[in-house]
Amino acid sequence: MKDINKLDLKGFCTNSVRSVFHTMLSMDVSVSETNSSTELSGSKVVGCVSFTGDVIGNICVHVSKQFARVMTSAMLSMELDEVEDDEEINDVIGEVSNMVGGDIKSKLCDAGFPCVLSIPNVTSGSDFKIEAKGWMRHERIAFKHQDQLSMIDVFIKSVV
Amino acid sequence: MTLKVLAVDDSKTIRKIVSKAFSAYDCEVMEAENGIEGLSMISNVKPDLIILDITMPVMNGVEMLGKLKGQPDMKDIPVIMLTAESGKDNVMQIVKMGVRDYMVKPFKGEQLIERVMKIVALKPKEAPAPLPSPYFFIVDDIQMLSLPGKSDRTTLMEIEVDFNKALKTMSTAGLNKMILDASHLKELNMLVIKLILAVVENCQKYRIHLRFVGSSALGTELKGFQETSSFSINDSIGEAKKTF
Repeated sequence: MKDINKLDLKGFCTNSVRSVFHTMLSMDVSVSETNSSTELSGSKVVGCVSFTGDVIGNICVHVSKQFARVMTSAMLSMELDEVEDDEEINDVIGEVSNMVGGDIKSKLCDAGFPCVLSIPNVTSGSDFKIEAKGWMRHERIAFKHQDQLSMIDVFIKSVV
Repeated sequence: MTLKVLAVDDSKTIRKIVSKAFSAYDCEVMEAENGIEGLSMISNVKPDLIILDITMPVMNGVEMLGKLKGQPDMKDIPVIMLTAESGKDNVMQIVKMGVRDYMVKPFKGEQLIERVMKIVALKPKEAPAPLPSPYFFIVDDIQMLSLPGKSDRTTLMEIEVDFNKALKTMSTAGLNKMILDASHLKELNMLVIKLILAVVENCQKYRIHLRFVGSSALGTELKGFQETSSFSINDSIGEAKKTF
């Protein structure tokens, strides 16, 4: 029986995030020290995708609202002060989570855990937490670009 | 003929990126949010190329592609599939669908264009014609330079820039006659003199026959410079034309 505990989730996340940020946003990010209780405070945007199949789980990308605006201006080649529309910001973060999630899902499939990916959903607001219980594994990885922190959560459990 | 491209993706971000990728080319990019909208648009305007995302709500890309392939007048429209999933099984599935190519997200606009160019010919957009200069214009086969009544340093610099462009135009068009019309000139200062001398020098360099139109005061002034001492001043453009 394949063992999800042997999956290098941190490696999957790191490679996916670096690739997406570099290609779509022309940003280089590095892994930052964190633990599972680290949270982004203040106004933030969280994009999540789910996957289901031989494994089920969620992948969430957390960024501050300010960083989300910077990411939007980079993705859409706009000046920062032109970024006003929350819908635009949410769409960008949703697409980033879709790309990160899609790459991680591909790696899970290639590792022998076939699954399918959901459409992304986006939550934005202030001072909220996303908690998930009952997972076999949870990885939280923080990334830094200049002085901006973003976080990726991966929740996963096997169903076979 | 303008290439018609249909971008079908539920993400407005991706549709904007695709649209921007084609902006340098003679293309019209139409957008749809899902397969149903995409099929509706195709029934009104047949695109030359479709950029199609797989995972979309309402109707996904696989289903839309299936419906396209089932219609004789649409089945040959080339499709490039977009996917966020790079896994082997996913790629094999895409290849079997009969699409012309696929792009895995994330991708840069240039990477998409590279793939597109293997399928359809992309014509760069023509640069818009430069705005005509208020000082330079062509009458018959003569290049006219009409100096304004009063001009500051900026205006004179602008005229000098336009003069260099006019020289190129004259060379391309095979023109070798120029009339410098200073009849509206109200103030003859060193900057204007400097410009006139530059015009004279370049006309001599490029073997352009130059004539002057202006006042007698201009004539007196120009006599004081070696470069222009031999020039005579004409009272009108008509008179100047006769001297060619």
